[in-house]
Amino acid sequence: MTKTRSHLLAALAWAVVALSLLPIGWMLLSSLRHASDIAAGEQLSSSLALRWENYRDLWVNVDFFNYFRNSLVVCGLATVISTACALCAAYALARFRFRGSHAASLAITVTQVIPGMLFFLPLYMLYRNLGESWGVQMLDTYRGLIFLYVALFTPASIWIMRGFFVAIPRELEDAAVMDGCSRFGAFVRIVLPISAPGIIATATFVFLLAWDELFFAWVLTSSPDVQTIPVGIRLFINQFQHRYDLMMAAGAVSTLPVLLAFFAGQRYFIKGLAAGAVK
Amino acid sequence: MTSVTLRHIDKRFDDDGALVVSDVDLQIASGEFVVFVGPSGSGKSTLLRIIAGLESASAGDIVIGDLLANDVHASQRGIAMVFQSYALYPHMTVHDNMAFALRMAGTPKREVMQRVRKSAEILQITHLLDRKPKTLSGGQRQRVAIGRAIVREPKVFLFDEPLSNLDASLRQDMRVELSRLHQELGATMIYVTHDQVEAMTLASRIVVFDAGVVQQVGTPVELYESPANLFVAGFLGAPKMNLLPVTLVSADHRGAEVTGPGRAALRVAVDAAGAVTGSAVTLGIRPEHLRFANADTDASNTIAARIELIEYLGDHLLVYATVSDAAQRLCLKLPGHATRVRIGDTVHIELPAEHGLLFDAAGVAFTRLPPSAP
Repeated sequence: MTKTRSHLLAALAWAVVALSLLPIGWMLLSSLRHASDIAAGEQLSSSLALRWENYRDLWVNVDFFNYFRNSLVVCGLATVISTACALCAAYALARFRFRGSHAASLAITVTQVIPGMLFFLPLYMLYRNLGESWGVQMLDTYRGLIFLYVALFTPASIWIMRGFFVAIPRELEDAAVMDGCSRFGAFVRIVLPISAPGIIATATFVFLLAWDELFFAWVLTSSPDVQTIPVGIRLFINQFQHRYDLMMAAGAVSTLPVLLAFFAGQRYFIKGLAAGAVK
Repeated sequence: MTSVTLRHIDKRFDDDGALVVSDVDLQIASGEFVVFVGPSGSGKSTLLRIIAGLESASAGDIVIGDLLANDVHASQRGIAMVFQSYALYPHMTVHDNMAFALRMAGTPKREVMQRVRKSAEILQITHLLDRKPKTLSGGQRQRVAIGRAIVREPKVFLFDEPLSNLDASLRQDMRVELSRLHQELGATMIYVTHDQVEAMTLASRIVVFDAGVVQQVGTPVELYESPANLFVAGFLGAPKMNLLPVTLVSADHRGAEVTGPGRAALRVAVDAAGAVTGSAVTLGIRPEHLRFANADTDASNTIAARIELIEYLGDHLLVYATVSDAAQRLCLKLPGHATRVRIGDTVHIELPAEHGLLFDAAGVAFTRLPPSAP
């Protein structure tokens, strides 16, 4: 590759990175402006002072902590349950030949090509009926959201992890059995530690998806005690106020856990997705 | 030291599926080095896994020492196995890899340390004990895999194509190493390979498999000199044995006469009593047993052939010759200096009667006669 071509490619890569980061930069900048300046489109004006107090006000103006806590509970539990379910299903699909394994794989794939939006009405009715007929409250509850997120994100998790398990040589488990492990013992002592990158990658993936989910969270919850950040952020814009500044600050704050989750698992995330893809 | 007895072992993976291993009956003596050899899919690895306890047999009994092992867990059979891909636990150090089985068995810490160190010394890998498998070369990994087996002090060692991932030179070194180890430990060893060189050099006895069926059991010399059938004859030996379709002209217990390609009359020193004259049979002779005959003398058992190709391999030559009026090719293995022939030459090739083998239409070999008989 010539030097010029190499420079051009590097420039192109940086341009793509800059383009991707632009909305985030714009959000951060807007979060330090007054609402009226944002409305006037003057975010870039250098004469304006940075309003760090927006980051204080967002907790006061709306009970943002509540949404933050709800998001952590819902997304955290959904991530743990979804990853645990995916772990078992992916291992079974990768390792065992059983009646219906092909159909199960196909069904998991099919769920990924149906737009989630189509589930909305039947799901809402199901949740309502569960509450009215069986006394199991699903609407406007943590468990309703958690159950939905587990159902929505587990199939994709299964596929990511299946790639990891398929890539682990069967002989490792055979060796563990020869060394005195049961099949389950071999899974726990050998397969799980080896596939930790895949598990972390999958958990990060589920957490990111759940953290950003707005549509179902908005439809299925109505009280601030349950609503998550994406729903809460919307409340900064209502018929009485248009606090774009606080909305942007809230956006920046809500991005923090996502960034932390990503950077903590970044090494594994990239490795995990790549391994699943090439094997 | 422990013997291994296999009694009428069958294996099929599905209830209605084909037999992968069929009626294997085998007695492996204590301290023996037995090699299972055969092409891919011949059932040799499956049988090894059955002995290991990683697969269950569909029928038959596995007896290890005095123990009927059919329902005994793999770790309780007193067996250690070395896998083709080494199967080292990548998240553990070499020490922990070797100590894993002992820890699983609840061996005291001090004893674990001693046994790991002792095994490491035998294999000269003491300096690698703190390293992770990914930092080791192929040969080092193989040593660790063997060390992991040794440390358990098993009664029987199983090897599943352990050298197939190594390069040729390292493979040769490891073959010597394994032979040394066998002599040193004196344990019963069962070794699976599709490499006939490994089989011939390592084994005290070889078991040849094809399509899940044992074709022949014997010492390397027995199998090479007196293969039981066409499969064994063709499988062992490189270059392969020359196999020529011929017609049986006369046959009795003192020998057989066949009409070969080019209508040459050839005598073979086999006990062919009872064979039907006029039937189609196969004549087999190894490349190193063929030699050029002097056309001027009245040499018997010769075929006229035209040299097609000469391969110079340093210490020896491979000469490929086509028999004049038939599309049959013969391969001759000659000393490296025998370069008097050239491509295109027509030569007379002698097939010594005492080195010839004869196989009936079903591929079963007639018994060879002792050298002095014909």
